[in-house]
This record gives sequence, C-alpha cells and structure tokens, in this order.
Amino acid sequence: MPTVTIDAKQYEAQAGETIIRVAERNGIDIPSYCWHPALSVAANCRMCLVEVEKQPKLQPACQWAIADGMVVHTRSPKVLEARRAVMEFLLLNHPVDCPICDQAGECKLQDYWYEHDGKASRLVGEKVHKPKAERLGPLVVYDAERCIRCTRCVRFCTEIAKDPVLAVGNRGNHAEIILDQGRKLDHAYSMMTAHICPVGALTTTDFRFQARVWMLESTPTICPGCATGCNAWIDQTRGVAKRMRPRDNPEVNDFWMCDDGCLTYKRVEEDRVLCAAVGRGAARKETSVAAALTEAARAIGQVPAAVVAAVLGSEHTSEDNFVLVKLARDLLQKGTGALYLTGRPPGEADDLLRHADKNPNTVGAVQAAAPSTLRGFEDLLNDADAGSVKAAIVLGAHAPVPEAELAPLGKLDVLVVLCANRGPLSELATHVLPAASWAEVSGTFVNAKGQRQRLRPAAPPRGDSLPAWDLLGRLARKMDLALEYKTLGEVERAATPAQVTA
Amino acid sequence: MAYKVIRPPESAVQSLYVPAVVDGLGITMRKFFRNAFGRRKDTATLEYVGTPETTMPYPLRHRGLHRLTQREDGSPRCVACLCCSTACPAQCIFIEPGEYPEDDPRHGWERYPVRFVIDEMRCIFCGYCVEACPCDAIRMDSGLHAPPVVKRSDLIFEKERLLSMPGRDGKHLHKNPRPDPPDPESYSLHDGARPPLVDRGASGRDGAGT
Repeated sequence: MPTVTIDAKQYEAQAGETIIRVAERNGIDIPSYCWHPALSVAANCRMCLVEVEKQPKLQPACQWAIADGMVVHTRSPKVLEARRAVMEFLLLNHPVDCPICDQAGECKLQDYWYEHDGKASRLVGEKVHKPKAERLGPLVVYDAERCIRCTRCVRFCTEIAKDPVLAVGNRGNHAEIILDQGRKLDHAYSMMTAHICPVGALTTTDFRFQARVWMLESTPTICPGCATGCNAWIDQTRGVAKRMRPRDNPEVNDFWMCDDGCLTYKRVEEDRVLCAAVGRGAARKETSVAAALTEAARAIGQVPAAVVAAVLGSEHTSEDNFVLVKLARDLLQKGTGALYLTGRPPGEADDLLRHADKNPNTVGAVQAAAPSTLRGFEDLLNDADAGSVKAAIVLGAHAPVPEAELAPLGKLDVLVVLCANRGPLSELATHVLPAASWAEVSGTFVNAKGQRQRLRPAAPPRGDSLPAWDLLGRLARKMDLALEYKTLGEVERAATPAQVTA
Repeated sequence: MAYKVIRPPESAVQSLYVPAVVDGLGITMRKFFRNAFGRRKDTATLEYVGTPETTMPYPLRHRGLHRLTQREDGSPRCVACLCCSTACPAQCIFIEPGEYPEDDPRHGWERYPVRFVIDEMRCIFCGYCVEACPCDAIRMDSGLHAPPVVKRSDLIFEKERLLSMPGRDGKHLHKNPRPDPPDPESYSLHDGARPPLVDRGASGRDGAGT
C-alpha cells in the first residue's frame, strides 16, 4: 500500500487515489470548488493547488494521483499565494451582491475569501456583465455573473442525472452555463444542481428569497416522499420549514435527493389537519381531540369487533402501525378481523433514487403486522361493499386507488381516520383525528431495501395534533382496552428491536 | 454578617457640617447673582423657550424614527437583504422579501421588500440597522422621536409610512454611489445602451431554447 506524506505526516493510501481524497479522509482541508466526491474530476477551479515535491509547478490535488513516497505540502507559502491569486481571479467579475444572494452564509466564495484572500479587488473599470436571474427550468434560477464555471452542475446532469441538458457556452470571461437547444433544466433532479453549486449562481425558485441561511435551524430527517427513504436535513426558521436538502449517506441516497423529495417539507404546513372533527359531509363539526376520541370509541363499541377493520398506513412510522396492530388485532378483534394497508398511490420511478412506491414506510407497516399478512386496499373496498367490514380505523388520509373508486367506504358506519394531511379518506371519515406529521415525531421508517432509519422531531406538533401512536393509545383507553404503552420508549421496546442505520 | 465600615477621621468642625453647608450655599449664591444681574456672555444656562410647541433642536447625529430612502423613481432603495433585521438586537424589524414582476425593468436584478415593518415601540434606537445596511436604505435621520399614540398599532410602521418620511433635509434620496438599473447613470456605464443583462435575461439567447 503506497504511503504519502502530507504536511510532514504520513498517510496510507490506495494506489490511484488522488491527493484530495487522501487529505479529505484524514481531515486535512484542501479548499476546492469544482471537485465533488461523486463527480468526475474537472480540475478547472485551480483552488486545490498543492505543492508536490519534485514537481516544478503546483498541482491540482483533485487530479493528481498519489505515488508511493510522494511528499505534498498543502500550506506552504507558495500554495497560500496561489490560493490568494486564484481567489482574486475567481472574484474578478463577481458582482459581490452577497446581501441579496441566497447562498450568502453557506458560500464557498465567502468562506475562502476570508480564509485565503481577504483583500479588496484591484480591478479597474467595469466588470463583465451577464444574464441574471435566468430561469433554467421550473425550479432553478441561474445568475451568470455569480457563476465561477466550476461545471459541477454540468457534470451532475451528465453523470448522475443522465440528462446532459447543461453545457458551458462562450469562452474566457464570457463563459457561462447554457441550456441544450430547445431544452429546459426539467429533469427529476434539477434542484440538486443548485444544491451542489458552490456559489450563488444556481438557486431554487422554491427557496429563493425565503430566508437567510444563518436564520435556518437544521434537523436531520428522512424524506417521506417515497420508499427510498433519502436522508435529509429539514431547515426551519422560527418553526417554519423552508427547505429540505440531502444529508450524505452512501448507504441510502449518496449525496442526492429528487426534486419531489426536496419539496416534501411543504407537507408540514400544507393541507394540515390541525383539529379533530366528527361527522360526515355537512354534518361535520370540529371538536377537541378528547371529545372526538370519546365519540370514536363509543361509535366503534356499537359495531361487533369482528367487522372492525384496521387499516395500516405506509405513510406512518413503524411504531404507529405497531400500536394499531396491537389495538385492533390483539385487543379488539382478538384475531378475528383483518388488517389492510393504505398509502399514497404509486408514481414515477427511476434507477437513481426515485421509487415507484410513494410511501416511506410500506415495509415497516408490513413488518409491524407480522405474523399477520396485510390485505390490499382493494380488498377493503370489496369487504366494505359486501358488508363484512362495518367500521375502520385508518392511519393516513391517502388511498392508493383513484378517488372515484372510494364510494364503498361511504357505506361504513364508522371510519376513524388519523392523519396529518387532508386526503380523500379524511373527506369520507366519520371521525378525523389530527396526527403529527413525520417531521414532528420520533419513530422509524423502513425503506424498500429494508433499512430501518430513525426519525427525529424537527418541530413540536402543529395545532392539536398528537403522534398517531399516542392518539391510538388514548383511543384504546377510551375503549377500555388494556393497551399498556404510555410512552414511545415502551412502544419501541415492544416492537421488534432491529438495527437503525441512520 | 455585619461589616465594620472604616471612615476617615473627622475633626469637630467637619462633623458639624455647618461650615460646609455655608460654603456650598456661597457658591450657589455667587453663581445666582452673577447670572441674574451680571449679564455675562458665558452664562451656562439656556433660555427656556417657553411653549410646548417649540422644541429643543436635536443634535445633528440624533437617532430618531427610521425612514426608508427612495430611488429616483420613488421606489424603495431597500433590497430586502435582511441585514438590518439580522443586526437588530430588539428584533423589531420584519421584512418580507420579494421579486419585482416580469415586466419591471428591475426584474431579475434585485429583490425588494414586499413588506417592511418596524415596531417603533420595540426599537431601542441603537442604530445597528443603519450601520448594517449595505445600500443606505434605512436611516434614522428623520429628526423625530416616537410620538405619543393612542393605539399601540399606530407605532408599528409599515413600508409606505417609512418611505414617506423625509430626512431632516426634507429629501428622500440616499447616498449610495452604486447606480440603480433604471437610473440614467447605470446606462452610461455601457455607453448609453441598456445593460445587456436586462434584456438578455428575459428574451433568452442562442442555445437557451426560449
């Protein structure tokens, strides 16, 4: 195994590795713009120049492969001067409009200027002007003046998204990112170009002007958008979610997330069910959670336990589903009734990240019901139509079938729906109970690969909402069922212990 | 626990206090008669103006109620960067940033405050917002202090009110040397032509596919 000396310390490396990878692994900071661990090497920003002994000139650390016995200096006077010169060069035509730039605060130009340059511009005369706020696609805005032409976005579209829609046009000072003829940046991962942009050149229409990044509070979370379960950060300011961005995890999503996933943070606010309601259609009345629970318990008590269906939700955590299984199968039906599964309808899929199953926890719901097998939503519709199901307790307001086919559910005497967001099922429900959204609860999601991932609450539950397991526990107590779980810890210990990966 | 206070020793005359009182009154009376009858030019007292309508002139650097400066076309100079609200220790500034509409010549250049609200009751008049502003858009040189009001909401100033207040010179303009897009000087930088960034951004370029 070759050994390389970086800043007078020896490190083991693999043959063919580049200097910057060895340095990164060992915690040595080499500044760079164009290098990204998941993308090909461009070596065009020249920020990572380091001194390699026996080489006459400085070499880009992102491109230079190590050799046994190589001696590298990353902070020699020659290197520091080169970095200063590169910074001055990159900032030559930069508009320095940091106060109105969304990247300010997490901008590598700002960070490296403080660290490596710190001098005023020596440019005499007018800077080169280029297009500003150009819409590259429905979700991405391009500011050519701020761009340093690192081509990260170009390489991302070509190599990761496999849709080479971006390219570099013009030359020298006038170089800028251009779109392919007749195209827009509209593939499913367009927001990732803004995410990996090291400067403020690419910004998203969604986050544009929404907040300054220093106001944001980041909490690790799991994307609820599909069964891939991408790891993400949810960024909030004053308790309002402003954006979601990928959290690096090579086991699950690498460095990326899809556009739909990045926008799932809106579910925290949009169409939220914030208070309980009792009654169907025009007779529906908003009420307190306690009153709705009492009413629901009474209504379920009036139908035989054998015709009460428990409908597990693949949008809800494994713990929520586990408590529903306990309540319905073991305490209420005592093995007589059936368990069903609901969730959002399937959607588009690709071989990068997006999964056709648009629910984050289908596998977790199935596992929670084991050893019972779950029946599909169509079975529930048939049984409701046939009259073998008269009441149902449902986790989640979405159904995998079109709304027009949900008519049989209108025949049910009792339809208790626990949901965070309004959906077709909450419209048909006799009792709606406000559940906390995925961003407000602790719990686990199991993705399509079977990886159990921990969810942490990013905010307190909105309105009257409570975690679904808690609502179910309260419902059980109203129904005089001996459901022993009063804390999430008790639920977790009772549910099958399994390894949590993230 | 009691402490013993060590006092300097006093003589019998000092502990009487009467000589010190007479001494002090002497100074008071000397100044009084000089000011009252002496007509000295360097009198330290100012003439009281007399009526409630006349006020003391504030010093030139007095930090009064905020105002927003205007561009030449009357729009706010503010670009809604939120630097002032970030710097504000009292958190009395609320700004909702937005983008100029498509047909505005300033579209694509800058953001602007859709709402700009200052709670003058919460403000501690420290002037940090003025220091933080990169555009000379917010100033405290209106020469006014927060007036007494009947309703609390009367002291929550919206953008329109802040824009309407002139400086002590009676003007609304700012001293930002940077030309604004619709301002005539910004075109002179490009030989009198419209800067390319304004019309190219909207109409697209070769290869842009628009």
